[in-house]
Parts: sequence; structure tokens; C-alpha cells
Amino acid sequence: MTPDLTCYGADIPALADLVGDFDLRSPIDTRAWYTREWEALGELLGFAQPLAAELAQRRNASDWVRATGEAGMAAFAAWHRRESRAGMSDRQAITQASVIRHMVNSGRDRGELWRVTVDPTLLDTGACYQDDSGAWSRAFYPDTAPGYFGDGWSGPPPQAESRCGWTTPLVLHLGTFPWVYSSRFDASGPALRWSSASAAPAVEAFRIMSSALQPEANLRQDARQVAAIYRHFRTHTAPLVSRLPVYRPGQAQAGRLYRHAGFLRMQGSLHVAGLDGSRGNLPATAYNHIIRRFAVFFAVRRATVRALTTWAPEMSRMVATSTDPCLRAQVEGVARAG
Amino acid sequence: MSRLWVTVGTVLGVAGVGGAALLYSRRASAASPPLPGPGPPPAQPANLPPLELAPLPKAGDVKGDLVANWGSTPADLRPLFMYMEEVSRIPGSARVFATIAYGESRFITTAQNGNASGEQDERDSSRAAYKNNKDRNPPLKYGEQAAEFGSGGFFGLLAPYFLWTGVPEVGKKAPLLNAPPEIVFQPRAAAFGACVYMQRLLANYRVDDVPDIKVGWASPSLLGEKNYGGASYQSIRKHYLEKVVAVGIDLADASTIPPKLSAAAWPGVPAVFAALVGSLPKELS
Repeated sequence: MTPDLTCYGADIPALADLVGDFDLRSPIDTRAWYTREWEALGELLGFAQPLAAELAQRRNASDWVRATGEAGMAAFAAWHRRESRAGMSDRQAITQASVIRHMVNSGRDRGELWRVTVDPTLLDTGACYQDDSGAWSRAFYPDTAPGYFGDGWSGPPPQAESRCGWTTPLVLHLGTFPWVYSSRFDASGPALRWSSASAAPAVEAFRIMSSALQPEANLRQDARQVAAIYRHFRTHTAPLVSRLPVYRPGQAQAGRLYRHAGFLRMQGSLHVAGLDGSRGNLPATAYNHIIRRFAVFFAVRRATVRALTTWAPEMSRMVATSTDPCLRAQVEGVARAG
Repeated sequence: MSRLWVTVGTVLGVAGVGGAALLYSRRASAASPPLPGPGPPPAQPANLPPLELAPLPKAGDVKGDLVANWGSTPADLRPLFMYMEEVSRIPGSARVFATIAYGESRFITTAQNGNASGEQDERDSSRAAYKNNKDRNPPLKYGEQAAEFGSGGFFGLLAPYFLWTGVPEVGKKAPLLNAPPEIVFQPRAAAFGACVYMQRLLANYRVDDVPDIKVGWASPSLLGEKNYGGASYQSIRKHYLEKVVAVGIDLADASTIPPKLSAAAWPGVPAVFAALVGSLPKELS
């Protein structure tokens, strides 16, 4: 039985279909799907070569979900170390790493890792760091203006005065890493610059993003949060995408963006193309990555729920206590169908 | 590639408000290349079917490293530049192609120099290239259009010379003689032209180091005895090295770029064309 994702919205099943359905109980199915999705991630971000090497080392692994996850983390970390152009000071990166750890711990408790929020003044670091001149600066961009992931958020205001000027909560969209800000986009993803000589918060953030591919971590994430952010993203991008021509093989003009199977396509570099909407420029690379992250989340969710009772019955107990009525209903439906 | 300072008209189609092409100067800061603005893609001749060559190569299509010393070269173009290096057998050329593409087009495949009102001299260059060379080269089916085109594509190739690519080696069998100049917007076709051009520079001119390649890209005559080391030569090197810094590629990194490139293992125009472009539709071949 295919679990009904429409509880999260009528458009969610079609979203999941963008990356195809698969059966976690089938090793062949699982291997093909996870290989393809990790390769797509590696191609878009640029770590496809180290990923291929890591996957080759694990080609005989029996648990391909875990093997691809480990290979992906190792490949991304190695690539990021080599690729990184010392994006920031040690002080900023160390502060970021500390803040992310805190936000992830509290977000995990709530089942909300896709978008994490915190009052920065309640953190030990205050989400502030000292620059070389001794002045205090914010460790992250204050992302509360209206953007592609939300209409902006001004409150609740910090409970204490911030020494580096925080007047709003700190918000990070880790589910779409490295495009973690709703109102600040560039072609390669701002969070890829989260690194210094001695800290790599980008790697920790990547771990959270890619955890959506792991069935158990996926189940722990409240899908209602993901669906709400997706709906906002779609509201602001669908009118822009609808104006693009549909790609027809052999008919495309170089340098023109096309719609193709739910993604953007161009004969040329997607890094220098984009959509220009009321919420600002959205690079084509960012669009494709973000749509794929949403689609992957719901595809893994669907496959996990379908397989739950026979493939991982221990996860059923976790689901039984979920606050998400959609998830509970899906699992009950699958169990009834046997 | 025929002059130092030209403007680039970016004509990527995007779904935004408005419809004007965004024009920006190559003199603009290269630190943060702007996103292309809305506008129609360049038109093809009306009597031709749409031309779409194979998509860009992917990481799995190349053996060479795609991580070290690429600066801000887009991830989806690195395999193309590496594929050019592997196909042309010019070791170390991948990152040099990336620096040239950054300088000539900011990695925009439809960059064209000559399509704006202020680019008269670029059109003059392509007209002169056509007029002065048409009698000693095989005829171009779209010669008049090439003469009016200026230069374009990733590598800023001057249209008539681009369409004559391969003539010195294979004569009338050169593969682009029947193609319109707009084919330079196809990444793989531009890559073919750039590989052949790089090989000709390395094989026939004095090229002491990588910046000399860029001097030859502007005009091979600057590598001749009379002009080598002159004011234009020095100026081109200076501006090229500024762009190299902007894109973040270290020309002194001998592990990825040898101090002097060599085309000694060049496999020939037909092999390079077959690997990069494959075959053209019968109307163009």
C-alpha cells in the first residue's frame, strides 16, 4: 500500500514523485534510488568526484542507506576541506558550530530540524563573535525579512539585550543547506562558506540536511513544518517557473532556462542563471537543490511509512507517540492494509 | 577575443519581470558576477531547426581533479573544462580555459560582444576578419552573418575565425563551415573552437607562460617578434592576471597547471570535434 501524503497537502504526492518512488524492502530498489539521489546532490554542490570514490569503497555494503550516508558525509567533509577558501575567522566559525549544536539539540527534541530557531541572547555565545578589531558581530545573517521560505518573522524579540545587535530570533533553514537563509541567496549557497582553519560548521549543517535521507531521522522530523515551508516556496516560485518554456529534447536554445520534470534545465551553467521574483534573485542551482530536498524528504517519508511494519517495527513505536496526526494515520492505514 | 575591453550582453532567459537584457561591462568587478537579467535568448537563423548539442559533461565523464585550484569556477562547468583538457591532450589546460572563460564571458554561454550599440568595433573586427580571409579560406555558408556577429560564447571567439576552426588542419573538411555563428553559444561547440585555438597558439607561436596564451587569445600577432613584450602585450597580461586573481585560480600551482603548456600530444581536429561535439544535424554538416 502506498501511504497517503495528501494529509500534508494535495500537491505533496506529486512533489515526492519528482524523485521517484522506491521500496525500502527491496535492496535493488533502495540501492538505485539512494545512489542516484546522492549523486545528484554531489553533482549540484560539486563533490561528485570524492563521493564516487567513497561509494566505490563501500560497494559491497549490505546496508546501502547507511553506506551512502557515511560515504556522503566523508566525501562532503573532504571536499569542503579542500574547496573551502577560508570563508571566515576561527572565532566566527567556532561560534557558529556551538550555536548550531545547540539549535540542533533543541530542534531535535521538537522534531523540527528543517528550520531551527533560537533566541540568540539565551545562548552562551549570544550568537556573537569578536572580530579582529575587538568589536562584536553577529555570527549569522539575521534572516527575518520576507523571503522564499517565509513571510518574515519579527518576533518574539530577544529576552535580553544583545551585545552584537540581535533584535530578532536567529533562524536557519538547515533542511535546504547550503541555502539556509530565506532572504539571502547566491549561486553556491551561503552556508558553504561556514568554515575556518579550525572549525567547519558547514559540515555539521550538511549532516542535518542529509539526515532527511535516513529513514529514522526522517520520521523524527515533523513533516508539517516541511510542508508549510515548501508551500511558501512554491507560492513564490511557481509563477516564475510557469513562465519558462517546457524543455523538449533537441529543441532547446543555449542559454535559456527551461522547465523539465519539475526542475530547471539549461544548456549552459545553472550557476549563472536564475529566477527574478518579488523576493529577489533565486539562482537556478538553488531552486533545483531546494525542490529536490523537499521532494527527497517526502519520498523517503513515503517509503519509510510503507515499509515500517515489516522493515523496521521498532520505529512503529516511535510513530505511535508522534504529535503528527498525519503520520499516525498513515502508519495505521498501512498496518490495516497488511 | 579581438580586443581588450568589450561589453558582454547576457541574454539568458529567466522568468522575471521586464524583458530587457542585462548588459554589464567586463570592466566591472569580477568579485561577484551578477545574475543574468531577463531577456530573450539569441535568435537562430529562421530557416534552421533548433540546434541543441549534447549536455555538459558531468563529473563521471572525466578523470582529472575537479576540486583543487578551481577558484570560483562553477561546479557544473568544471567537467567541461577538464574534458577539454583530456580530449585535447594539453595537460593543465582545464583551469586555463576556466580563466579565459571567466574573463571573456563570466561563464555565460550566450555572452556576445557585438550585439549592443556600443560594440561597433567588435563588429568591425568580425567584418574585417571575414573580408580579409574569405578568399583564402573555404566558404562559410553563413559568412555574412558571421561578419556581423562580433564574438561570443564562453571563450569570446570571433565568429568568422570560429567557423573556420580546423581549416589549416583539415581544409574543406573543417566541421563548422555550414553552421551559423550562433552555434558558438553551444558550450561544446565553443569548447571545440577553444581547444583548437589553444593548440594553434601553443604549436605556432612564442608562448613562454600561461599569460602569453591570453595575449594570443586577444591577437596572435602580439606574440610575434615585433609585438612581443610591447605595450599591448603587457596590458593584456596585466588585465588577464587581475581576472585570474578574481576567479581564484593559482597559475603558479604546478600540481594542476604546468608552467608551460604543451600541445605535443594533440590528437587532431577530427578527434577533438568527435569527442566534444559529435556530429551536427545534416543541415549544418
